[in-house]
Amino acid sequence: MKHHLRITAALGVIVIAVACVPPPEPVPDASAGELEELEDLDLPSPAATSVMRRAQEITVRIRTLGCRQFGVGSGFVLPGGIVVTNRHVVDEPREVTLNTWDGRSLDAEVRGLAVSSDLAMLRLADDAGLPVAELRETPVEVGEPIIVVGYPGGGPATVVTGTVLGHVSGELLDEATEVLRIDAEIRQGNSGGPVLDQQGRVVGVVFALEVGRGTGLAVPATTLISYLEGAPMAEPAGC
Amino acid sequence: MDEPSLPAPPTVPPPAYDARTRRRWPWIVTVILLVASTAVAAGIAVDQRQVAAEWRDSAEDLAGQRDDALGRVEALQTQLDEIATMLATSEGDVTRLEDRIRELADEKAQAEDTATTVQVERDVLAQVSNRIASAIDALDECVDRMFALHATTVEAFNRAAAGDPVDVDPLNAQAQATTTFCNDARSAAAGAAAAASQIQ
Repeated sequence: MKHHLRITAALGVIVIAVACVPPPEPVPDASAGELEELEDLDLPSPAATSVMRRAQEITVRIRTLGCRQFGVGSGFVLPGGIVVTNRHVVDEPREVTLNTWDGRSLDAEVRGLAVSSDLAMLRLADDAGLPVAELRETPVEVGEPIIVVGYPGGGPATVVTGTVLGHVSGELLDEATEVLRIDAEIRQGNSGGPVLDQQGRVVGVVFALEVGRGTGLAVPATTLISYLEGAPMAEPAGC
Repeated sequence: MDEPSLPAPPTVPPPAYDARTRRRWPWIVTVILLVASTAVAAGIAVDQRQVAAEWRDSAEDLAGQRDDALGRVEALQTQLDEIATMLATSEGDVTRLEDRIRELADEKAQAEDTATTVQVERDVLAQVSNRIASAIDALDECVDRMFALHATTVEAFNRAAAGDPVDVDPLNAQAQATTTFCNDARSAAAGAAAAASQIQ
């Protein structure tokens, strides 16, 4: 008898459960609004996001008229109208002019020469609208791909790629810290140009060419950051 | 005599009614439940039929919307392909224009280099020219002073020849001043000549 009761109860529960199946939700109105909005999308331009293109935009050509000589080098722009280059590019400056990638000519003055590194800081008289570089605070690793931009021979800007070969003691090169050895093609005129990682962040500043090896040397960005954070710098000497 | 004994009460058999009733109740309840369930099931069936109809309608709506969305996707894909083509073309144009901008920027920078060099050369030439002009002026002044010294000397010589007294101290002083001035002028001329030879 109990068996019958159980069957009946189970049957009742099933019937009630089945009765609880809700009707379908009303179909959402998939209006064409969202799809039509796609037609008005402002798609990002690949031209504006290219790392190579950005690398060229932040790099400037530096023309210096010194006390005894005329010279050309490279540099790059940081926020606040600061331009970084090599000390040997702007030693004893009478007149410093920057040429941007798009043909602008800007006056600058030397604000400081690094004491124990081949770095110099310039200040632009007017930095309106100039693209600026981003510095990488973490050290670059051996084997990491790099991009080097500069104005070798004072000619058009060049972009070359390479890798970090290693870290070299900077003592013999009057550098306070280790410097980067890179296998990118470096020529006279590349001095002061940026060394960038694959994301376009500055990891070093080109300052020398090892003639025997055919490799380039660069001051690490960490050294540059130390000067930006207040390490002592010298005033440029007059003529 | 024996006391009459009371007859033993009759044994009442348990009513058969209660047992049967107890056996029937579950059946009755079952039947009632079955009837109720059947009624509920019938109601549910009607309801589910409506639900099924709603699902069918929804499915038909969704199918329609799906077809509509697929059509839009196809249209958007076509537009996207066109935009991608235009973007590639624009990118190519931008690249060519940027290359041209760089060429022009390089030409401008080279021209500025030349202008700066010419400016420096002009400044140097102007300096040398000024030194040469100053040296020429000094040498010219030297010649004038030499002529004046010569005239003074001749005059003194004539006066001495005529027996007039001649004070030679002023004459010596003039000769000394002229010599000093002319030596300076010659040094200036030599310096200007050296500067001019460096330009070459």
